Amino acid sequence: MKTTARRPAWAFLLVVTVALVVFGTVRDTGPRTQQDRIDTITKRVACPTCDGESVYVSRAAAAQAIRAEVARQVSDGLNSDDEIVAYIADRFGGQVLLVPRGSGLDALVWVLPVVVAVALVGALAMSFRRGSTSASNAAVSTANRRKPVAVTLAVVIVVGVGGGVLVARQSGQRLPLQTATGGIEDSTASLLAQARLAGPSDVKSAIDLYARVLETDPDNVEALTYRAWLIMLSARQFDEALRQQAYASTIAALGRAIELEPAYPDAMCFLGIVVYRDGGDAAAAKEFLDRCLERDPPAEVRGMVESLAAEVAAEVGG
Amino acid sequence: MKTARVAALATGIVFAALVVVFVVSDGDTDVGARSPLLGQPAPAVATSTIDGARFELTRRKGSWVVLNFFNSTCVPCIAEHPSLVRFVADERSRTDAAEFYTVVNDDVDGAVRDFFAANGGDWPKLRDDDGAIAVGFGVAKVPETWIIDPNGFVRLRIMGAVGDGVLEAQMARLREGTAP
Repeated sequence: MKTTARRPAWAFLLVVTVALVVFGTVRDTGPRTQQDRIDTITKRVACPTCDGESVYVSRAAAAQAIRAEVARQVSDGLNSDDEIVAYIADRFGGQVLLVPRGSGLDALVWVLPVVVAVALVGALAMSFRRGSTSASNAAVSTANRRKPVAVTLAVVIVVGVGGGVLVARQSGQRLPLQTATGGIEDSTASLLAQARLAGPSDVKSAIDLYARVLETDPDNVEALTYRAWLIMLSARQFDEALRQQAYASTIAALGRAIELEPAYPDAMCFLGIVVYRDGGDAAAAKEFLDRCLERDPPAEVRGMVESLAAEVAAEVGG
Repeated sequence: MKTARVAALATGIVFAALVVVFVVSDGDTDVGARSPLLGQPAPAVATSTIDGARFELTRRKGSWVVLNFFNSTCVPCIAEHPSLVRFVADERSRTDAAEFYTVVNDDVDGAVRDFFAANGGDWPKLRDDDGAIAVGFGVAKVPETWIIDPNGFVRLRIMGAVGDGVLEAQMARLREGTAP
């Protein structure tokens, strides 16, 4: 009777405790200044060249560079605190994280204390229960006594591990690309890298990837240039009408790329190659190829241009 | 008695597992250092040389690019310099020559110019005044040398001074596609 009367009080206490924990975890602490954010972030990152110092306190050159990067990203306002910390961990490795991650082996730091705490509470509850019921249960069989132990054990495991995982997810450092709001779409740099890789063997995929970049960044010079170049290369195997169509769009796209970034060598080089190979205009091609070489193209493009330049020069000279 | 047997058996298993790990492990003998960036697109680098020319790493796609983080007062940087000079001279004889750049780390233009005037090396020297490039690559101490492939992916990181012939050997492995 006495135990039954106490149950609502225990339940009330449990509800209040859980509510306070939830409130403390998710409450909005209000707007922070940029300096607050910089301080908070740099306190979460270890100086990579010192022992046991955070970037916040360290005066080492590497720590100062990280602090400057944090300040720059905070000032840009594009990334959350977690994303900025993840950016640094992505470069220097997980060992610079002063707050352990909420996944992988690091998550044990968060999960184990919760499991142990729940196990202790479970054990305590069981011993209370045994103490209060030992007299009345003197005649209960061993099999019947094992049943509550198994149930308690299962509850402890489920609640402990579940609670631990929740704590790890909430408190642990998020990994790069793990955000509070879900996944991050492929960045422009990643799409360009994928397109570059696909380029030689899977031209269609590469063209699609460059097109995706241009959907979000219509003035991306690399995507404009290489999409146009790959379209022209593909069109060479089709009929004259399609080649002419591709030629016109390629010239327009390369012209746009050069307009956006006159110093970009690749666009100028491809323009020279296309004007000669597909337009048959050696004089114009020579001018573009000369300008291309003045712009110091990368080795791959330079190789293509140099092998063509002599042929074009001979034709113009002749 | 039974407990003692179990404990002895468990100890034996753990010991045997450790022996297996030590035997199977090939150690960390490779010159390449670990980095989360290996195999990933290189971080964006947009800066200028100490001579004022504009530099953007993404615009060098199509070439192998070697970035060497450097400080004129760092002893290992001074020690590796002759090897770098020889490497660049060898590379320049190739049609697919790697482009070599020094990234100046926590140093002043005058000191860098004096160093290169005295020790050779006519390749471009990139400014990193606020350390953004070093942080982008996760460089905490110089010297460090990074190799980026023509598709713009990070392929190798070497921490510390580069010995004679090391860069040549690593570039050959990378070009053949045998490097990890």
